[in-house]
Amino acid sequence: MPFESIIGAWVATGLTLFIFSFLYKDNPVFKVAEHLYVGVSVGYTIVKTYDTVIVHLIWKPIVENQEWMLLIPVFIGLLMLTRYVPKASWLSRYAFAFIVGVGSGLAIPRTISSFILKQIEDTIRPLLTLMPGEGVSFTWNLLSPASGVNAIIILVGVCSVLFYFFFSVEHRGPGKAVARTGVFFLMIAFGAAFGYTVMARMSLLIGRLTDLIEFSDASYGRPTLWLLVMTIGLLIVLGRRTRSEPPQEG
Amino acid sequence: MTFAERMLKIDRRIIFLVIGLCTLLPLLYPVGLPIKISPEVRGVYDHIESLPERSVVFLSFDFDPASKPELHPQAIALLRHAFKKNLRVVAMTLWVTGTGLADQIITQVAREMEKENGKDYVFLGWSPGNTAVIINLGQDLYKAFPSDYGGKPTKGLPVLDGVHSLKDITYLVGLGAGNPGVEAWYVFGKDKYRFEMGGGCTGVMAPGLYPLLRSGQINGLIGGLRGAAEYESLIDRKGTAVAGMDAQSATHAAIVLLVIMCNVFYFASRAQQGRG
Repeated sequence: MPFESIIGAWVATGLTLFIFSFLYKDNPVFKVAEHLYVGVSVGYTIVKTYDTVIVHLIWKPIVENQEWMLLIPVFIGLLMLTRYVPKASWLSRYAFAFIVGVGSGLAIPRTISSFILKQIEDTIRPLLTLMPGEGVSFTWNLLSPASGVNAIIILVGVCSVLFYFFFSVEHRGPGKAVARTGVFFLMIAFGAAFGYTVMARMSLLIGRLTDLIEFSDASYGRPTLWLLVMTIGLLIVLGRRTRSEPPQEG
Repeated sequence: MTFAERMLKIDRRIIFLVIGLCTLLPLLYPVGLPIKISPEVRGVYDHIESLPERSVVFLSFDFDPASKPELHPQAIALLRHAFKKNLRVVAMTLWVTGTGLADQIITQVAREMEKENGKDYVFLGWSPGNTAVIINLGQDLYKAFPSDYGGKPTKGLPVLDGVHSLKDITYLVGLGAGNPGVEAWYVFGKDKYRFEMGGGCTGVMAPGLYPLLRSGQINGLIGGLRGAAEYESLIDRKGTAVAGMDAQSATHAAIVLLVIMCNVFYFASRAQQGRG
């Protein structure tokens, strides 16, 4: 077993157990792991961004390949830093205006095409299918997404939910029935989303427990067992210390 | 205090313990519950299966270690399938925090399948700009990534032979844990540059991507650990996802039971309060 894998196993196990200790109650051991997570994430992002952007996309092409055109985006980017100089902060607006303009120009047509037009096209599907030799047919198969009955359900669902969020008309009489139908569809959607969320969270727990089981192996030096004992010990010691400390005045 | 009221005020740590045991025990003593393959996962599998040798498959690992339990098995299974079919794999990530993990995944599977860097696969790494990177790739891959993750110039790599932009790839699978992810690849990639595309995502994201699947905007979707387990079953290489399915089923059963019990105790306590 490579030495770095053993070190990695001990660090991963320790931090997992420290984070899990929060399930018992908030404690300094959990705080250590939480702060380490945030610090490492930010540190990693800074180093990777510096290496990729500053070194590989700016410094090397300009200095080694004389790609002087790159100085234009570098200049626009540097304008953003003028926000830290109050007298020159107005210059940063040019950089932000450029980003907002380009971003909107790129995103708006593509988003409308992908999420509005394509989805409307899919919502209003033909109810009847013309099959050569079989004539016109309507399919009742609930399990087939393309069936006629599912096309009706989706159409009713979309219209009723849109009506539920239409607040210019009071939801009374037939309107109330339509809005109620919309709520019914919304509840099903929330239920499906919640079910998937539960599945996802359980998957994360399974992932960590799988690693803890793997790291309880003798080839790693059994970090799961040793660090579990250590974490429980730390929680007991910290719990006793908290109890023995006199309450703060004021 | 009645029994129902006592149960409703139960220490939440007991529930954590129950869920923990329901997860741990099936992992230690697996029973091997059957895994049914869904049409959405089969969509991705069938498309890769239909590709001729040396076709270019583009994989985007848009996740970080926080989503590793769900998306790592998906990535491993997809890479094993692509390498087994002798396809050329071009991989990258839109998430800076996922760079190291993505490199580790592709290096590990390539070594296991005896594939050569630069000839059979390339990992392009990460480039800033989120969705702008996708547009850059659609215009000129070599401008978006002048060098690969190891610093080797991308121009002249045998794996990229005949590939100039996203228009030249055969199939793209985006494995996403958020934004930018599968949706970004569809909006700024497939919709503009016209290539076939499938997706893989965390369980939380799956319901939001089903509309894209139904409308045919993506041709398959691998959702969460369950999707990864299905893919592992399809390629007949059972890994961590299949191993986790018993635990997943046990925890789901425990949660359903807890929800039912909670409702029973809630209505029982309300009825007792009404009587009182």
